[in-house]
This record gives sequence, C-alpha cells and structure tokens, in this order.
Amino acid sequence: MKRDPVVIIVVAMVVSLMLVFGFNMARKSKNNSVPGPQTKGDTAPDFTLQSLDGKNTRLSDFRGQAVLLNFWATWCAPCKIEMPWFVELQKQYGPQGFQIVGVAMDDASAKEIADFAKEMGVNYPVLVGNNSVGDAYGGVQFLPENFYIDRNGKLVARAFGLKSRSEIEDEIKAIIASKVTVLK
Amino acid sequence: MPSIVARTILSISLLAALLRAQEPPGKKFPSVTMTPVPVASVTRGKANTVELQFHVSSGFHVNSNKPSAEYLIPTTLKLDVPTDIVLGRITYPEGQQMSFAFAPDEKLSVYSGEFDLTVMVRPLASVLPGKYVFRGELKYQACDNAACYPPKKLPVQFEVKVVKSPPPATKNPAQSPHIHN
Repeated sequence: MKRDPVVIIVVAMVVSLMLVFGFNMARKSKNNSVPGPQTKGDTAPDFTLQSLDGKNTRLSDFRGQAVLLNFWATWCAPCKIEMPWFVELQKQYGPQGFQIVGVAMDDASAKEIADFAKEMGVNYPVLVGNNSVGDAYGGVQFLPENFYIDRNGKLVARAFGLKSRSEIEDEIKAIIASKVTVLK
Repeated sequence: MPSIVARTILSISLLAALLRAQEPPGKKFPSVTMTPVPVASVTRGKANTVELQFHVSSGFHVNSNKPSAEYLIPTTLKLDVPTDIVLGRITYPEGQQMSFAFAPDEKLSVYSGEFDLTVMVRPLASVLPGKYVFRGELKYQACDNAACYPPKKLPVQFEVKVVKSPPPATKNPAQSPHIHN
C-alpha cells in the first residue's frame, strides 16, 4: 500500500506537538506542585519552636491528641476571622483530646504576637514560627494554612486559605475520631 | 494504515490528557509590577512631580497606604535619592473601600488593578544637568478572597533628566511715546 508522505508528516507533527504539550504540562506541574506533607497518611514533620512564654515546644509533645496545626500571622485578615472560631472549637472539643497549635509566621516580636493573641482571647499554645518549619510544611506560601493531624501524628487533611467554620469543624471531628495505633 | 494512525493519535491524546490530570491544583500567586517610566524632565531649583504606575495582578488586592486596621501592612514606597536631589512627598492614592468573603461586614482599604503614586523631587539649583537614577522598593502585602501572602518588595527604578531652569523673562523698557529720528 502506498503511503502518502503528507499524511505521515501531518501525523508526525501532531504527535510531536502532543508530546511537547504533555511534557511541558508535566514539568509545569512539578514546578508548581505544592511541597511539604500533602498526602493523607504522611507523617507531619516534627519540630521544636518557642512558645510565647519562651518554652521549647515540640509537635510530638501532642502525640496522642488530635492536632490542628494553624499557620497564621498578625497581618493576615482571614486568619483573624477564624481565630474566634478556634477559641470556641478548642473549648468544645478540648475535652475529647483535641488541641489547636498556632504557629505565628510573623516579623512581629513575640510580645506583639502575644498581645495580639491575648486580644483575640486565644486559649491554645501559640509558637513563634520560622522559615525552617515553614519549609518543612511546604513553604507556607499563603495564610492561613491549616494541617489536621491525627493522634498518631499522621496528616489527615490540609487546608489552604480561610474555610467555613463548618468545614473546619468537620475536619476536627475526623481527627478526633482517630485512634492511637502507635505507642508514644 | 488509517486505523493505525487513528489509534496512535488517540493513544497520544490519552497520554497527554493523563499527564495533565496528574497536575495538582494550580495556585496563582499575586504580583505587583511597575509600568516602565519614561525619563522625566525635572527643572533644577524647582519642585517637580514624577508619576509611577503599578499594577496588581488580577484576583488580588494589596492594602492601601492607609489600611483600615493597625495590624495590616500598608503599601509603602522607599527611595534612595541621588546626591543634591531632594525627595519631597510621595502621594499615594486613596484606597478602594472593599469587603471580602472572609470579612463581609468589614471594609478594607485596598488597591487593586492599576494604582499611581506621585513622587515630588526637587533638584538643587547647583545640580549639574543630566540624567539621574532613583532606586528603591515598593513594599506590599497581597491577599485574595480567602488567603493572604507574605509581604514582598518590588524593586523600583526610574530616571529623571535634570534641566536648567529657563532664564527669567527680561522686562522690555517702556517705549517712549515720542518719535526719535
């Protein structure tokens, strides 16, 4: 059977374009992919940070509790919206082994962060964050960013930006329901 | 032959689609850019204004120079000034009062889209005419409808051409009403 060279050339061009498109999309997705623990079941990276009263606090200190790790900053307006919800949710679910841990990613001083937290009525530990911990959690490129961690220190969910109170509460219920399977 | 070609094209299409499906949810990040400024002529010994235009990427806003709350980071321009040129006032536009999904009852003073700043410069009378470069940075902090991004600094640079002030107009002596031969 005679092969039409024009058809072959057109097919080759189409195939090449598709391959180039696919390769570029794959490369772009790699460059834009969100780093840090993002898959359910990933172990949340442990860290040590100072609390506002100067005590060294490790994330693993809360192993056995369901943890909402909240990255925020004093200059973040949406963060200010969810803080009062966190205060209420901490009161409500704390007795069930739930703990919110705030990490302030601020240029502000510890005193300014403490004053802000006091003004907001924060009733959970607030730690002074740094770039190293931010990087371990994917760079924390925008705020608020919340990580829901089960009682075994495993990531259950990750939320970018402000979510509704009901969405937050649903995630909290999910991590509270987790059982401890790894002994401390 | 045609069915082989069709199957090949279909396979490649499916592969390309699969690669795209693997892409995690894209996240756009805010940016502020400055429109290049043509060289502005400024007269020595006088106050002159230079306009700088900035653009906030679509879907984002930055706090204005006078945000509605103390804890918000304002947009500010800082400039290093060439010797013998005095930097006067930097005039910022008024922010748009906008509310967002994360605080529907609260109005925030923000810039979005294009916004212009005016810089007053006054070269001293002794400055040599010629081109001079101003360098500095615009500090801003951007948010979208649900999240805020860390403060950033945009490098700013523009040139001015210092020119001599025109000579004062000479006053013509009064014309004598008499005809002189």
